[in-house]
Amino acid sequence: MSSGARAAAAIARKDIVSQARKRFEVFSMFLFALISVLAFSFAVAGQVEADTASALVWVIIFLTGMFGFAPVFISEAETGTLRGLSVAPVPSWSVYIGKVVYGFVIMGIVEVFLIPICMAMLNFSFTADPTFVLFTFAIGTLDLAAVGAMASALTMPAESKSTVYPLVYFPTATSALILLVEITRILVSGPGLIPVALLLQFLVAHLLAMTSLSGAVFHFTLTG
Amino acid sequence: MPLNAVEVNDLTRRYGYRTALRKISFSLEEGGIHGLFGANGAGKTTLMRILSTILRPHKGEVRVLGLDPEEDTLELRARLGIVGDKPLLYAELTGRENLRFYGRLYGMEKESIEKRIEDLSQRFDVFEWLDEPTKILSTGLRKRFDVARSLIHDPELYLLDEPFSGLDQDSSAVFLEYLDDHRNDRTVLLTTHNLALGARICDDYLTLKKGEVTGQGPISEFEGKL
Repeated sequence: MSSGARAAAAIARKDIVSQARKRFEVFSMFLFALISVLAFSFAVAGQVEADTASALVWVIIFLTGMFGFAPVFISEAETGTLRGLSVAPVPSWSVYIGKVVYGFVIMGIVEVFLIPICMAMLNFSFTADPTFVLFTFAIGTLDLAAVGAMASALTMPAESKSTVYPLVYFPTATSALILLVEITRILVSGPGLIPVALLLQFLVAHLLAMTSLSGAVFHFTLTG
Repeated sequence: MPLNAVEVNDLTRRYGYRTALRKISFSLEEGGIHGLFGANGAGKTTLMRILSTILRPHKGEVRVLGLDPEEDTLELRARLGIVGDKPLLYAELTGRENLRFYGRLYGMEKESIEKRIEDLSQRFDVFEWLDEPTKILSTGLRKRFDVARSLIHDPELYLLDEPFSGLDQDSSAVFLEYLDDHRNDRTVLLTTHNLALGARICDDYLTLKKGEVTGQGPISEFEGKL
């Protein structure tokens, strides 16, 4: 393993262990997601088709991400520990990738509980093609974590972080959200005019573009 | 002829329209404890940040341990030990986990990390607190762990920006003793507002005022005022 990859793994591990001890952040993400599912189920369950209901899962994950990915860098900046990462002899992309992996893991934990609840409350099923579904959720969650981590890093210098964060996160994550909604609809309702594999390729391209671009310019957020 | 640990020529750094450092030039020899003194806003922290690679100069040339902080960033960072007024520790992790984490970031092998943790925890008298989360520790103990963190990779140059703030007398004494023991084989650049302490432990001094160098020389020539 290269030194950058080792550093990324160490950063992700450190954040996951810290989070496992705090618990409340993952729990509050889950609570937010659960309340959203309940609100949607009251509003639309039984009135919309399964494909539309399944697409709502991504809207909930997208909004939960806005809430959960924001502290990824902002909390390090507030406690001052970001300086320890800034002066460490590791490439800056490894700090970014470590945070993306951490974001992916915490969102993944939320999704493990959230998706069955969504299927039950909103009356749809992902059981038709579980491998494809799993792959889509993995790539989609990684993509949102990549956007969320970069948005958090870009928000650090802002005075009004809670205002700036959604303004950065929303436009960059929306293209991924549109693709994910479309893929999920096809997975639930059957093939449409556009092959799902093509959409998935676009999604993978979006993920690669986001991580490589963010990784390349990330050092500007750590140094002045 | 002794080598220079730090060489600065015509260094300028601005924040917007305000100039924090104005065309400063100086050099510090390898080895010994060098005091960097100045009132608030003199430019000490800006200089420390440039030397520690996290701030880029706008003009001028900087060499630290013979390396260019902008070009040889990672190589230089691996040889620096940095302590600021705020501990860089993760509250949920134990002291041992914090030290292990930083050891991994500095590319150390598992065995050498464990050995170093053992040595430093004995040295800074935090052995019995190693497995407690740092959030429950007193300010002094957290600071001791932070000093151990900065030394985990056995750096060649210590950049210490107000390292004694928040340290009680015992903790300061332990740290001072460590610095004194490494006076000959390591280089220390230290900022402190405690001029009496600075005058007692430093070998020479550099004073800054409003972003300009106003004095440099052996500590015996330091008059104890800025």
